[in-house]
Amino acid sequence: MHCRLRYLAVAACAASALLVVAGCGVGGGSDNGADTSQTVAANAPIKGSITFQTWSLKNQTFTPYFTSLVQAFETKYPGTTINWIDQPGDGYQQKVASQVTSKTLPDVINLPPNIAYPLVTSGNLLDLTKNVPTLTQDYVQSGLDSYRFPGASGEYGFPWYLGAELNFWNKAMFTKDGLNPNSVPKNLDDLFTQAKTMHDGSAGKDYLISTIPGLNNIVQAGGPLMNAGYTKFVFNNDKVAALLDKYAAAFKAGEMPPDVLTNTYQGNNALFLKQEVAWTTGQGNEVSKVAQTNPDLAPNIIPSPSFGPANLNVQGISVSAKSANLPLALAFAKYVTDNANQVAFIKLAPGFLPGTTAAANDPAYAKSDGTNAGDSAVIGYQDMQHAINYTPPVWSDQMNTDMNQQISLAISGQKSSKQALDDLVTQLNQLLTN
Amino acid sequence: MRYHRWYSPWLLVIPALGLVTLFSIWPAINTGVLSFTNVRQISGGHFVGFSNFVAMFQDPQLLNALVNTLLYVVICVPLLTVLPLLLAILVQRSIPFIGLFRTVFYFPVVASAVVVAVIWQWLLDSRGLVNGLLQDLHLTQQAVPFLTGRWLLLFSAISLTVWKGLGYYMIIYLSALANVPRELHEAAAVDGAGGVRRFFAVTLPGVRATTMLVAILVMISAMRVFTELYILGGRTGGIGGNDSSIVLLIQNAASGLNARLGYASTLSVFLFAITVIPMLVLSRLNRRAEAS
Repeated sequence: MHCRLRYLAVAACAASALLVVAGCGVGGGSDNGADTSQTVAANAPIKGSITFQTWSLKNQTFTPYFTSLVQAFETKYPGTTINWIDQPGDGYQQKVASQVTSKTLPDVINLPPNIAYPLVTSGNLLDLTKNVPTLTQDYVQSGLDSYRFPGASGEYGFPWYLGAELNFWNKAMFTKDGLNPNSVPKNLDDLFTQAKTMHDGSAGKDYLISTIPGLNNIVQAGGPLMNAGYTKFVFNNDKVAALLDKYAAAFKAGEMPPDVLTNTYQGNNALFLKQEVAWTTGQGNEVSKVAQTNPDLAPNIIPSPSFGPANLNVQGISVSAKSANLPLALAFAKYVTDNANQVAFIKLAPGFLPGTTAAANDPAYAKSDGTNAGDSAVIGYQDMQHAINYTPPVWSDQMNTDMNQQISLAISGQKSSKQALDDLVTQLNQLLTN
Repeated sequence: MRYHRWYSPWLLVIPALGLVTLFSIWPAINTGVLSFTNVRQISGGHFVGFSNFVAMFQDPQLLNALVNTLLYVVICVPLLTVLPLLLAILVQRSIPFIGLFRTVFYFPVVASAVVVAVIWQWLLDSRGLVNGLLQDLHLTQQAVPFLTGRWLLLFSAISLTVWKGLGYYMIIYLSALANVPRELHEAAAVDGAGGVRRFFAVTLPGVRATTMLVAILVMISAMRVFTELYILGGRTGGIGGNDSSIVLLIQNAASGLNARLGYASTLSVFLFAITVIPMLVLSRLNRRAEAS
């Protein structure tokens, strides 16, 4: 009996310890959001130290800029220290997620809207509207719109640098395959027609289309992705199905690379660089980028405006609501994104545009130097005026995977386009509620 | 002075028990608890009862993933239990350059996943080496869809698993074969038993326990198949997710800032359940065979 009691005591202690330990992890994540609407006194002292995080900007081009930016700020505000860190391009979402869960989110952080949104809903980012009264006058509307989220009032990012997605064409391939390089496609119908001409003209060796439709194509074909309240996906209509049918027909006719639906697909940009594909999309700096990797191809590139309103790519600077030094964090975020510093930054990244109204309206961006690189920067500037961020803030990695799966089924002919769209919308709506 | 107390053994096992609790038991319990919540990556959730389990059984991708996973088990277990044994018997002999053969057979085990991915994609792509050969030999007119066909992709992944696993299980069998007494073989030979007879009468009973171990190890790793399908089929699990596995579903649900950790935990609990049951059956069968 005595022995049994001992074992029971040991078992009870072990079970209690286990439950206590398990309890630490139960619930996962962090739901202890800070007060996102807190205000920082205008006369709060600016001193101490903070951490500033950028995304894939530590390199030969940008490191000197950020080093001098930080030095200039520290000189302007003696007694301050800015610790600049940069995260590599891959796995940024996961890195930010681990920073949130480990409570090490940097005070000032470079976040695109899709990464900022979950941080806003979990109470990790500061609402800027109450702290920056001139926000709407100082920053471009399209950029600000990207940092306004459903279910959360306020603005959660200073628009920093913006890019519009343009079209780029391979002039030599156009000429070789019987197409007129002076008459590049202006819409999707032109694209499919010319894709057939290129396929026939090259005996099936060259391709014009090498990508499956994205969110921008879906919206342009069939209206909004979601209802006004962002509570439901609604794009499973006949117009989008007709668009998928066109892609399916092109795929079946061999007018797209056979591996475009598989894991071995290298992406249309890589195929464009190899001159296996005559069309790609990119930012206004695409020609300059190509010149670094394929100098022979760069002069042969023809830039043209996007089909319909361009896809807007936005990068912004946000402030952590949990920062221990909000006055300094806010002051530094404003400093990084003020007009002078944005203009200086964009000089290092031609083809992108600043997120400040003063710089974005500068007519200097509308003048080309006559080269195709200059032309693409100008087209980028023009497209930017009507560009739209097509990715809804609720869009997740899993949604992207589901979309690729269903669109691939439709294009490969394994499912009708309408059925694939219906299934996709059902899955996406389940992800919204589950 | 009395040193031995009733708690003395516990003191000895506490360090190991602590580590096991921290790194195995606690995560397992936590996964079980999370499977009843709607926790996301960066936001705490709340108890949702069995709704994750209901959602899982309504998930249109689960059936595909389950079929693929079970097919993987059904094909891989016999292949990776028998072939490495035969290979081990072949390389067990002391002949010139046998060390080289053993190294070559073991090489796929040490090759990095990235290298393996590049090699197999290059081999099986529509413009890859295998399709090139088939077309050059006029065996096929068009490229065989090794990486796009619903079943072909699955069988390509199984081939990759078998290729990569042969060497590993061969080493396990080699150590087991070394423990089969040579005298038994000699006695059987004196009695007139040929090679095949000796294999079934001496070798196989001698490595029965190892065979069972290998079968269970292969089954567990086949139930958890991920890398091969991810390498060849990508994150989507082939076209339309036709070639997903349960672990691929878990990975998809548990990645990104909006990762559904609660749902991913539910899938993990389900995978655990369907892995443990056949393992127990195999164990029971083995015990019966040993008893008889």
